[in-house]
This record gives sequence, structure tokens and C-alpha cells, in this order.
Amino acid sequence: MKQFLRSALVLTALGGIAAGISSVAAHHSTTMFDHSKTYTISGTVVELRWVNPHVSLSVNGTIKDSEETGVWVMEMTSPGNLVRAGGWTRSAVKAGDKVQVDFSPLRDTSLKGGALKKLTIVDTGQVLTANIRAQEMPGLE
Amino acid sequence: MRHRSYTFSCAFSLAVLTIVAISPSAAQPPPHPQVTRAPAKTPAIINPAPTAQDWADIAKLPDWSGVWNPKITDQDAQVKTNPPPWNEEAKKKIDHMFAEEKVGRPPLVFFGCFPESHPTWMLVTHNAMEILFTPGRVTMLGESDGNRLRRIYTDGRPHPDDPDPTFHGHSIGHWEGDTLVVDTVGILPQAPLAISEAAGIPNNGDMRVVERIHLADKDILHVDLEIFAPKILTKPWKTTRIFFRQRARKFDIVEGVCVQGDYSERVDANGDHVFVPVEKTIWGNIVPK
Repeated sequence: MKQFLRSALVLTALGGIAAGISSVAAHHSTTMFDHSKTYTISGTVVELRWVNPHVSLSVNGTIKDSEETGVWVMEMTSPGNLVRAGGWTRSAVKAGDKVQVDFSPLRDTSLKGGALKKLTIVDTGQVLTANIRAQEMPGLE
Repeated sequence: MRHRSYTFSCAFSLAVLTIVAISPSAAQPPPHPQVTRAPAKTPAIINPAPTAQDWADIAKLPDWSGVWNPKITDQDAQVKTNPPPWNEEAKKKIDHMFAEEKVGRPPLVFFGCFPESHPTWMLVTHNAMEILFTPGRVTMLGESDGNRLRRIYTDGRPHPDDPDPTFHGHSIGHWEGDTLVVDTVGILPQAPLAISEAAGIPNNGDMRVVERIHLADKDILHVDLEIFAPKILTKPWKTTRIFFRQRARKFDIVEGVCVQGDYSERVDANGDHVFVPVEKTIWGNIVPK
């Protein structure tokens, strides 16, 4: 029991260190998103941040079946992995493009953030996804 | 402030001189002059320039060119099918981390953009790597982190007696047929041994890793690992990690700097292109505004 408490203290301390950093990039798990839910937002692209370790897309729009409007930030995997997921480049979308995005929202509902599942570019109908486990095979073209 | 420091420095020097002047040794005659000799130097080890034959020998090695992607679904599966033999205390920590991840509070094993480290890079990476052969050396270069690289010396050198601890340790390798056998020591005790991006704990020292890296098929690379981590495991842990090859040029690895994710690219009032910090949640997500 004493060992368990000590472990818990260590983990709490670790969490404290992480929580104390207001700006921290890292490769991380995605369970802070509620993957059991899928929201759809229609709107315009504000910015595509084409950076490691996680590309992000911000969209100003309205959530389907809701009156809620605003800027939502969608997180994805790294640039290299998105290229392999198919169709993505740093200019795949640009500010002002009309888009529809399916995403899983953050569990913290006070924040307008999500994990992108599918992006549809309205003017072209092009669909982009972000699942890096979907194409685990050599020789992709 | 600089002036005050100078004043303090002068006062300190005077005090030292005074102590020397009144010390007993200062009153004794100086010792007989002696012939001084430069201390014996250990001969420097010079890495020889590669010969034409050294370069020709590279061509005899198996073809590991191209870009290698990790089979993440197999990483996922091994979390349950082949967990490390954690010791009791480590198991409690890992179980706690999994519990936290399950309820939506995934621990940040790699917070602050520290390297995933060795062997965790091989174990849980989601990013591509490439492998370069040069005489006496194999170099592994990873995507996404600026410092994700491994230098594996194949020139016959031993490990240093007391290597500087690093995230990827000191690696020496040799070829057994078409298999590269790598031995790594000198890994920082803080480097995590992780089995997912949310479950990993510091190895706490004395970790050693032995790998056998080989092609399992034309475009499939296997990294067979045996991990000795006596501070957190009850016995050595064996696992194989799978990578698959891409040759399409569009998948060539592009420079990635993890910490760049902490910043947005902006143009300031002077017209300069600058990085501006972004605010993030404790989980590492950008805070929408």
C-alpha cells in the first residue's frame, strides 16, 4: 500500500509538471477526445497549421443541428503521416475555403476543439481523411 | 551591477593575497626548481578515412533504402498480447496510466517534445524513419522530431567505459549475414520505456537493449528487441516491431521539429516572420480561441 501511495505521488507530481507547462507540444494519445461522438461543422477555413507533431485546422462555422457558431480547432497527426493518409499537402485547404468537417470533440466541452475524422472541400467535393492506421502496407503510390 | 561585481572581485582578490602572504608556507624558501614534464597523453584514437574498398563493401549489405513506416496496429495489439514483464511497482504505475487514458486523461509520456528515446522510438513511434549506411556506421533518422536519430557504430569499436548518458544511448553493431545486431547502453535513466503514447515510465538506469534488425520480406523490416531494464522489469523483455517500406517520392521524409507545434507562424508589426507561442491544454491540444 505504501508503495502504491508513493507511485501515486510520483504520477501526481508528473502530472503537476505537465500541467504547469502552459505551452507544451508532444506526441500524445487522443483519448482527451470523445471518439464515441461525431460532430459536423460547416464553415470556412481560418488556418491550416502544417507543423509537427500535430497538424491543426481551424474552422469558423456552425455545428450541425446546433445554433453554436465559432472557431473550432481540429487536431490531426503529423504532416508526413497526413501525406500518407492521402491527399493532404500544406496547401490542401487555405484560409477562406468552404469546408465541412466531421470530428470527435474534446471531452472538455468548454473548449471548441476536436480530432478531425473527415474533411470535405465544398467547392470541389474532395474528401480527405486522417487515419494513419488505414493504409499499413508497403509500396503506396 | 557590473561595477558592484568588479568591486567585490577586487576585495576578494585582496583577501586571498593577504591570506597567502601570512601563511607559513609563504615564509619558507621556494623549493628547488624541477624539470617539469608534460603529463603523458593517452594517444588519440583517430577514425580512419574510409577506403574505396570500405565504400564497395557497403554495396554488399542488404537494401534498406526507402522510407520505413511503423505498423501501428501491431503496436496496439502487443499492448495486450505481449506486455513487458513489469515489476510490481512499475505495473501499478502503468495500470494507473492506462486507467487515466481510458477516462480521457491520457498521460503525456513525451511532454515537452523530449525525444521518444531508445528503445521507445522503435516500440511506439507513429512516424517514418530512414536508414543510412556509410563505412563503419549505420544511421537511423526519424521523422517529426529534430533530434530523432540513432548513430550505430559498426567499425568494431567497444562501448566507452563510461558513456555520457543520452536519449538514444551508445550503440555498436555488427552484421551477422543480412542481420544487423545492435547493442545499446548509456541511455538516460529518465528515458521512458513506453508501450503506447500514454503508457510509459522512466527506465531508472542500467537499461541495455539488444536488437536484431533484418528484412522479413522484400519491403518488411523487423526489429527484434531484447530489453534489459532491471529497475522496472522482472526479466528481459522480447518483442518484434514491424516497419513497411515506401518508395514513392511524395513520402520522402521532410524535416520536422516537434517544438514548432508550440508556435504559430505570424508576421509582426515590423514585417518580420516570427513564431508566436500558442496556448495549449495540459493534454497538449491547442486551446481554441
